[in-house]
Amino acid sequence: MDLPALANCVTSLSCIVTQSTSGLIIGMLLFLVAAGVSLIFGVLKVINFAHGSFYMLGAYLVLTVYGLSDSFLLAVIAAALGVAVFGLLFERLIISRVYGSQVLMQLLVCYGVILILDDLVKIIWGPEFKSLGMPAAFQKPPYLLGGGVVPVYYLFLILLTLLIAVALGLAITRTRLGKIVRAVAINPGMVSALGINTGYVYAGVFMLGGLLAGLAGALAAPVRSIVSGMGLSVVVESFIVTVIGGMGSVAGALVGSLLIGLVRSFGTIGFPLFTEGLMFLLMAVVLVLKPSGLFGREG
Amino acid sequence: MRTSSMRRDCLIALIVFAALAALPMLWPSRGVSDFVIRLAAFGIFATSLNMLVGYAGLESFGHGLFFGLGAYSFALAMQRLGTSIPTALLLTVLLSAAVAGIVGAICVRLKEIYFAFLTLAFQMLLHSLIIAWTPLTGGDQGLTGGVPRPAFLGIRLDAPYHLYLFSAGLLLLCLLLMRHIVQSPFGYTLRLIRDNPARATSLGINVWAMRLAAFVIAGAFGSLGGVVMSLFVSGAFPDFAYWTISGEAIFMIMLGGTTLFLGPVAGAVMLLLLNDVVTKLTEHYGLVLGLIILLFALGLRKGLADYLAELWRERSARRLAVPLPAAPFAEPSNKLSGE
Amino acid sequence: MSKRCDAKRRDHRLNRRELLSGAVAAAVAGFPFVSRAQMKPIRIGMPTIQSGRAAMVGASSRNGCSMEIEKFNAAGGLGGRMVELVARDTKGKPEEAARLSRELVNSDGCEILFDAESSAGAFAIHEVAKDLGVLVMHMNSETSSLTADPKLRIPNAFRAARQGIHDSIAAGSYAGKIAKAKGLKKWLSCSPDYAYGRDSTQLFLEYLKHFQPDVEVVGEAWPKLYQPDYTDALTKILQIKPQAMYSCLWGGDLTAFIDQSAIYNLFAQMEVFTINVADYTILTAVKNLPKGIHSGNRYLSTFPKTEANAKWAAEYRAKFNEFPINWSWENATGAKFVLEGLKKAGSTEAKKLSDAIRGMKIESPFGADGTLTMRAEDQTLVNYATGWGQTIPTEPFMPEVTPVDWQVIYELETAWKKKNNYI
Repeated sequence: MDLPALANCVTSLSCIVTQSTSGLIIGMLLFLVAAGVSLIFGVLKVINFAHGSFYMLGAYLVLTVYGLSDSFLLAVIAAALGVAVFGLLFERLIISRVYGSQVLMQLLVCYGVILILDDLVKIIWGPEFKSLGMPAAFQKPPYLLGGGVVPVYYLFLILLTLLIAVALGLAITRTRLGKIVRAVAINPGMVSALGINTGYVYAGVFMLGGLLAGLAGALAAPVRSIVSGMGLSVVVESFIVTVIGGMGSVAGALVGSLLIGLVRSFGTIGFPLFTEGLMFLLMAVVLVLKPSGLFGREG
Repeated sequence: MRTSSMRRDCLIALIVFAALAALPMLWPSRGVSDFVIRLAAFGIFATSLNMLVGYAGLESFGHGLFFGLGAYSFALAMQRLGTSIPTALLLTVLLSAAVAGIVGAICVRLKEIYFAFLTLAFQMLLHSLIIAWTPLTGGDQGLTGGVPRPAFLGIRLDAPYHLYLFSAGLLLLCLLLMRHIVQSPFGYTLRLIRDNPARATSLGINVWAMRLAAFVIAGAFGSLGGVVMSLFVSGAFPDFAYWTISGEAIFMIMLGGTTLFLGPVAGAVMLLLLNDVVTKLTEHYGLVLGLIILLFALGLRKGLADYLAELWRERSARRLAVPLPAAPFAEPSNKLSGE
Repeated sequence: MSKRCDAKRRDHRLNRRELLSGAVAAAVAGFPFVSRAQMKPIRIGMPTIQSGRAAMVGASSRNGCSMEIEKFNAAGGLGGRMVELVARDTKGKPEEAARLSRELVNSDGCEILFDAESSAGAFAIHEVAKDLGVLVMHMNSETSSLTADPKLRIPNAFRAARQGIHDSIAAGSYAGKIAKAKGLKKWLSCSPDYAYGRDSTQLFLEYLKHFQPDVEVVGEAWPKLYQPDYTDALTKILQIKPQAMYSCLWGGDLTAFIDQSAIYNLFAQMEVFTINVADYTILTAVKNLPKGIHSGNRYLSTFPKTEANAKWAAEYRAKFNEFPINWSWENATGAKFVLEGLKKAGSTEAKKLSDAIRGMKIESPFGADGTLTMRAEDQTLVNYATGWGQTIPTEPFMPEVTPVDWQVIYELETAWKKKNNYI
């Protein structure tokens, strides 16, 4: 524990700027993954334990497409769409068979998929870890804001993800499609009785979850090492976020991700050896005090 | 009725024990005895988890807490305190029961998925503690130096055959005890709470206390699974408290079945066999095992033992040309909260 | 039913035919007819990691061993007995490593174990070797206590990998010189939070202070192993503004760390010392390797700058289509010791083989002076080529390597052992 260092940081503007940006960075990528998990749970009542594998696929796809086309933009779009298609296949062929089964059976199914995907990427791309490298467009020196350091690529990430968060929120609350999705979350039987094909809605939500996770994997690729099993590192954190933010709530996922990001970035200064324990502690506290999470619905 | 079925179970257990004791003479393979020892560890662990999942309707994601706690406390007691093995066993069970009491008291108030996640959080907190407290636990390297095994009652656990008999015996004893508990009035009360908590409350049953009791019992037995594993590897590793070990137990009860009492043991046999055979035959462990799991999960959609039991009932009903009787074991309810 | 009987009869006929032709061939060739029992292969069990984030360990370990074994078999094996490597995937789980080791020995007829697991798995396998009495060669574990601690020592366990204590002394001695020369007083460490990371860092800082007392540790960051995001650690480092940073991050973590540090322009702001950069996994993976990172060699085909080393690297590359890395040479070395031991002892029996290997000195392209020794008193590898230098972004990646004086290492290692009551 290093409380004096933490106190020092909280009283210095440059430290606050740098650590908060750092928290934002960690949080925004986490948000893309957690939003998908949260939506899928909210609408389909399924906990997609395989979400980390979607993220991993996104990273591998962007690697391949970037290698072939030399265009990061194209690669990111291709990766996101590719994983969206995978999400659709996953839902139609596999998950839809275990709707209504126990949560634990869904967990078993997802575990099978994770095992297969982890091995497949190793067979296709090889066991060694790979690096995408920073695309040329972002190879610029970092900005200095208020004495704090903000890398160009991270600024781009934060803005892009905020944009997506806003778009997602608006789509869910303002559009007709969003209303249908919310209605299916509350009462699928009624929606189906009104003549709307709930199967399409389920598939669509899974596709969206896949798109977001694939996008996260692709956007994270320049600053991560890409290797089989990399999904593990995001899936546990995204569940913590989903629990804290509230399952089914995109706003909750955003707030939860930012909270975890800030806990990580300031926690590393104050509690360098117990940062992971801190996150689980936070999760436990939320579950005890308000199980449905900060933005979740009661019941 | 109950005592006679208990007597029958005891008899079956004795026969199985005798058979297992004779096995190494007929089939002298250390591979087989190793398998039985691991089966003992996971069989006890998975069955204890099923007391929560199948019988009490409490889907726990964090049961590995007790597996890890059991392994570490037993190994540490033997290494640091130099006690006898029976004393270490007693200390382990008491410690696990106490921890289960505290953790359970906080967790069982919560509904399904939240209960699941909170148990997971507690397990990961223990894991973080094990990793951080290096001077005591050895940190991420695990407890090195081996587990001392002084003789007790003429049993020398450093002799392979004795360890084999001890593990088999412990497995059968735990199964008998857990069977007795689930067949008792307490067990039936648990099932009532599982199926209809509102009705249980209206009958004056303290649902929270019953669930807590189930949690404590499951935790105490779960720790014994960890003890056997720590004897097998002669140490303890943080792996034993990681969420993956909870996952393995869950997969065993899903593959084997949650309604039949021996379902989890069947699942343990299945998963261990699959693991061993696939690892031996191919480098592509993930691909093959994943496909097999999907086949079971999507094809049967219930545990193998449950599936076979249902098949048997349907066939015998058809043969007698009588309408299918109500299942003697009710299906566990599996609604997620939030609906 | 009859089809099956026919097949059986057919098989018998084939077997007899094979036997006859074999005998004829042998008679024609003039060699004595050797019984099948004597020609039984020597099976060596290798539990290793073949899946997940550390899958590279398994791939490179197997490659390193198999190259040596093929040469051995091509030269006739052990009196006609060929060596067969049986590798199995432990998936990185120590209890699976224990189980597999036992299975390989008990059920699959393996007479020797090559432990190509990581450090935690190594301890599990060590217990199995203790229990079953087979010879085990630890190929990858760098945890010093595995061989240094007399409480853990058994006569049939050896280590062919580099050791944490040696690396830390080497690093401290080099860094001390640079610190003195460049006036680097404020140091910070950023290492993975697990046994290897903590031990290695603590020892480095100790030896840094030994060689250059005028240094101060102004901060530490402890990211988790396999943690993907180092932003919080990096911003902390930038806050503290040290003059020099030490890290023993490795593999994918180090690659990600370098990529992420680069966008903060970290390498321009401080001298960076890392044990693990000079390994081809990193050097070929990182797209924009910064210039001037100080690193100790893990494996470089240009250090030692000998023909033997270059030849081995070229052979490895041609055969496996990838660069050899640290685990590759360690496994090749361990395999060579065992194979030479087999020749010397003429038997696979654990005691005879151990006695042959203990204290053995072999010629090797990886030795500091062309030879490697398996030190007798603690049964671990010494005199391997170790040195430090600075990186450049293109091959040979580290043109100048300053070798470390092993006499210095031996001296300080003995002091360390005394301090820990190992001797």
